[in-house]
Amino acid sequence: MNRLSSLAELEKLREALRQGANAEKTCVRICMTGCRAYGAEEVRDAFRAEVRVRGLEERVEIRETGCHGFCARAPVIVIDPLDIFYQQLSAQDVPAIMDETILKGKVLERLVYSHPLTGERIARISQIPFYRGQTQIVLRNCGKIDPRSVEQYIIRDGYAALARVLSSLKPNDVIEEIKTSGLRGRGGAGFPTGLKWSFAKASPGNTKYLICNADEGDPGAFMDRAVLEGDPHSVIEGMLIAAYAIGAKAGYVYVRAEYPIAVEHLKIAVAQARTAGLLGKDILGSNFNFDLNIKEGAGAFVCGEETALIASIEGRRGTPRPRPPFPAQSGLWGKPTNINNVETYANIAPIILKGAGWYSSLGTESSKGTKIFSLAGRINNTGLVEVPIGVPLHEIIFNVGGGIPKGRRFKAVQMGGPSGGCVPMNHLNLPIDYGSLESIGAIMGSGGMVVMDQNTCMVDVARFFLSFTQDESCGKCVPCRLGTKRMLEIVTRITRGEGMEGDIDLLQEMGQSIKDSSLCGLGQTSPNPVLSTIRHFREEYESHIRHKHCPAGVCEELVFAPCENTCPVRCDAVGYTSLISAGRYDEALDLIRLNMPLAGICGRVCNHPCEKVCKRGDIDDPVAISSLKRFAADWEIKRGALASPTFLERPKDERVAVVGCGPAGLNVAYYLGRRGYRVTIFEALPVPGGMLAVGIPRFRLPINVIEHDIRFICQHNVEINTGKVLGKDFTIEDLFKQGYKAVFLGLGAHLDQKLGISGEDAHGVLKGVEFLRQVNLGQKVDIGEKVAIIGGGNVAIDTARTIMRLGAKEVTIVYRRTREEMPANIDEIEEAEDEKIKILYLLSPTKIIVEKGRIKGIECQRMKLGDYDASGRARPVPIQGSEFVLEVDNVVSAIGYTPDLSWLPEDDKLVRNRDGTLVVDPLTMATNMPGVFAGGDLVTGPSTIVEAMGSGYRAAISIEKHLKGRDLHKDRLYEPLRRAPMMFTKEEAEAAGSGEPRNHMPSLTIESRISSFSEVNLGFDEETAVKEAKRCLRCDLQRRSE
Amino acid sequence: MKQVHDFSKVEEIIQGYGKEEASLIPVLQEVQGLFGYLPKEALVKISKGLKVPLSRIYGVVTFYSQFYLTQRGKHTVRVCRGTACHVRGGKSVLNVVKDSLGIDDGDTTTDFQFSLETVACLGTCFLAPVMMVDRTYYGKLVAQKVPAILHQYKRKGGQGE
Repeated sequence: MNRLSSLAELEKLREALRQGANAEKTCVRICMTGCRAYGAEEVRDAFRAEVRVRGLEERVEIRETGCHGFCARAPVIVIDPLDIFYQQLSAQDVPAIMDETILKGKVLERLVYSHPLTGERIARISQIPFYRGQTQIVLRNCGKIDPRSVEQYIIRDGYAALARVLSSLKPNDVIEEIKTSGLRGRGGAGFPTGLKWSFAKASPGNTKYLICNADEGDPGAFMDRAVLEGDPHSVIEGMLIAAYAIGAKAGYVYVRAEYPIAVEHLKIAVAQARTAGLLGKDILGSNFNFDLNIKEGAGAFVCGEETALIASIEGRRGTPRPRPPFPAQSGLWGKPTNINNVETYANIAPIILKGAGWYSSLGTESSKGTKIFSLAGRINNTGLVEVPIGVPLHEIIFNVGGGIPKGRRFKAVQMGGPSGGCVPMNHLNLPIDYGSLESIGAIMGSGGMVVMDQNTCMVDVARFFLSFTQDESCGKCVPCRLGTKRMLEIVTRITRGEGMEGDIDLLQEMGQSIKDSSLCGLGQTSPNPVLSTIRHFREEYESHIRHKHCPAGVCEELVFAPCENTCPVRCDAVGYTSLISAGRYDEALDLIRLNMPLAGICGRVCNHPCEKVCKRGDIDDPVAISSLKRFAADWEIKRGALASPTFLERPKDERVAVVGCGPAGLNVAYYLGRRGYRVTIFEALPVPGGMLAVGIPRFRLPINVIEHDIRFICQHNVEINTGKVLGKDFTIEDLFKQGYKAVFLGLGAHLDQKLGISGEDAHGVLKGVEFLRQVNLGQKVDIGEKVAIIGGGNVAIDTARTIMRLGAKEVTIVYRRTREEMPANIDEIEEAEDEKIKILYLLSPTKIIVEKGRIKGIECQRMKLGDYDASGRARPVPIQGSEFVLEVDNVVSAIGYTPDLSWLPEDDKLVRNRDGTLVVDPLTMATNMPGVFAGGDLVTGPSTIVEAMGSGYRAAISIEKHLKGRDLHKDRLYEPLRRAPMMFTKEEAEAAGSGEPRNHMPSLTIESRISSFSEVNLGFDEETAVKEAKRCLRCDLQRRSE
Repeated sequence: MKQVHDFSKVEEIIQGYGKEEASLIPVLQEVQGLFGYLPKEALVKISKGLKVPLSRIYGVVTFYSQFYLTQRGKHTVRVCRGTACHVRGGKSVLNVVKDSLGIDDGDTTTDFQFSLETVACLGTCFLAPVMMVDRTYYGKLVAQKVPAILHQYKRKGGQGE
């Protein structure tokens, strides 16, 4: 390009370039920066070759661009002017794209974006939520232009802001405009940019410097990299305007050496700008002189701190110095210096062109404009997004970010890297701006958002950040150098299970001292991740310290394997999986039964939290842990065998009474029975099993399986008396009088909650739990042809599927949230859908319409999702005037159930909660009555089978201690009874990492399912079970500490 | 195998810069580009050429993680220890790399085939957990996949340069 010697020449060039551009021409924009790691180069080469072979050079442009932001779907392309977005391409896809899309305008469905939650396919880039939710100012050119072409930048108004400044604005006008815009520094601290410039301008002296801080070091932030790689001229233009405003003649871009493409593109851009007369002397004939140097960093995080960065440019060790004097007074080589971050400079040109008023119309009262966030960690749409400051966090995480992968739960987002803090689930409504984040102990920082889900340990995260700052501390000041080290030692101790009472307070105290006394930002903010995680996740610290348990299953010294770690009864899933893989099925069952006597039952109906944490799920899908347990249990049943009892201690005389024969009570009985105690279970219903027997339909859990598991338990000194009702047939006092030394209450929660709408008491309105109980006990229930079930849990689904089998024609589930929020197991939801049960989402009943004593229908109101509640789910909000009537013959309410405490006499001593549950010590499960313990749904409210068993396990430990006269709180740490033998070597376990997808059990055909109560799922055959078991990655062998 | 160096090129590099402290880091970067590390002889020449005391050069070299004072392996394995990689299991990737190569962070194998480094953040969080072997990214890793990746560099030796 020729040198542009005047403003008019720039405009002439822009006009000429625009004239020359052919709007009809198809342009394929390929990301060649971030996507390069995924093979974008091969895709580009394939496009070039195809265009050449077809002689389409005049009609199709293949443009190499910077980052499109949607890194999760790399490599990506956009085809203009069709507005089509294709993702996850390979070179093999290119011929079809040429034939179908580029030549015929047809969309190739298989390459189109599909929504991670809804599965909806969207071809047009402007319709994809990831892009639709954004407002791109800084990223205006990223992914659109070839960053190595100054012409393409100029076409899109490039250097027009510079021209405006040089032709019509005085330096003070520029500063005023930036001040009015409300732009704050995007590097982290958020200092008002215009004000900063005015300081540098006001400093005396003729030599002033300008620096661009491109030493983007915060782990989790990569927006500066994308801007430099994708639109380097926008930074140069911003710097030119800043230099003009403050009167600087020379500038530096200090860029991380870890960003080779950014350095390369920046060098190209600087050279182009010099050639074009946009850098150097007499820029655009205006007498304004400014030139830029590029300095590559040499790998030191602290150089992101401005005084350390200056030291590094000067050729010294990059250690910070105390301020004042600030760089605006005395910076590079002692001269007044202005330092801004990449993103800040890239905002300047649009503000000048469109005006401060336009810019300040975006954002919040105190934080104007937009901010780029880099989404990373456990989120579907990893990448870069630019949104107006002040949008709520849930908008970024769930709409733009696409939510959390693998159906896991959002836990927190870490903002501001090692200087920042975390924003937990209960703040999803938080508008993201500088002030709101500070109010909850986080910071905006550079905009890195690392998303964490239920499988992230917050103590480990704190340790991670501390080890980072401790490593990167330059060592100049004592609080940072030694303080972070000592804090790291304490946190490390906690993650190793060696934490002590008082550690948390000590960490907080040290953290505050380091904040108060460190020299620079690195030190002053280094305790933030610890302080913030303590603030929001104190109970996780306590769990590590007191129970030596890492709830997220991360801390390797405390975790045998994530599956075992997360199981409330610590069932050794990795162990029995390994035994099954070796064909040792009986031993597998023995291992299961060490802690989990209900193998056949839980193999079928457990909600298997283990599979949610299974590491194999990070590769493809989790191991079918639950189905493997079922296989081991069925192996025994099929042979008509029953393992003989195993006793851990000699027989004892003490007797224990268990009231309620559900999963909690059965586990208590099994635990104590095996230790020699004599246990009697009293059950009110005519059958044993509690909810297992009367709350779960037979097509999910056949009666013979329940009977088999209970028979196994009864071999261990356990006797069951059915039809015995507490409060009617006997009292707690009676039990003690009869010589029982301890009592466990596990009566469950069998009382349906009321809907609270009119018509609820009409004939034909059924209650879910009661209905299932009646059907399971063989009682006849009259059901019409059209039935609506209200609710979204397993009871609702079980009820619907049962009603289908009783001959109803049309079964509809009405749920007030969406499918993603449904508490029922996903497998069950899918099975219900297969069975043609209609599920209506975002719908809430308002009244039941009754005419002449008969149900006519149910009036429903449509809902939409609003704010997020503390559980991290969007709250349903009614849409006024959306009511309509669903015509049905029966309505079943299945919205929840509570314990029935009617057996307790009014003057009873047992303390209860307002929601009708019993109060117990959460660790020991002891009630306020000596010798009386409680667990299961009676204590927790409706929960899962395995949670109930877990609480029974904790209660049983306490009962044993009570009987032995020991302190209930002491020596409760979990210690495994036995581990599976090492079945194969680490190398073999590593080999399992590839191949075989998750196996699924065969099931009955839909037709035969809905005509009977036969079990739907048929279990693995031997061959499949072994194959599935071999998919296990053997996390237990990956541990380094054994 | 120990390299034999031609130090005359160091002089040429120094000539291209101003004789001032500000040139130190770029000169060190270029010299290291030449040898893969910073031999003592080169540092002495730089000290004389730029008129910067050797002690100060040593201070700078040991401050920045990018500079090395000893010969490096043929292949550099960089394991990202950024936050995004960490929450996606980066630690177990690092453990497996250490085990497979038999060296610790910052070390070089005795056959000078591999050097292992950890990097604060590679800025490729969308690839997490990620490692780089020379200039090639390996993203979305699980620990179990790592040995096979490293093995191809062991066997073929020359690949990936």
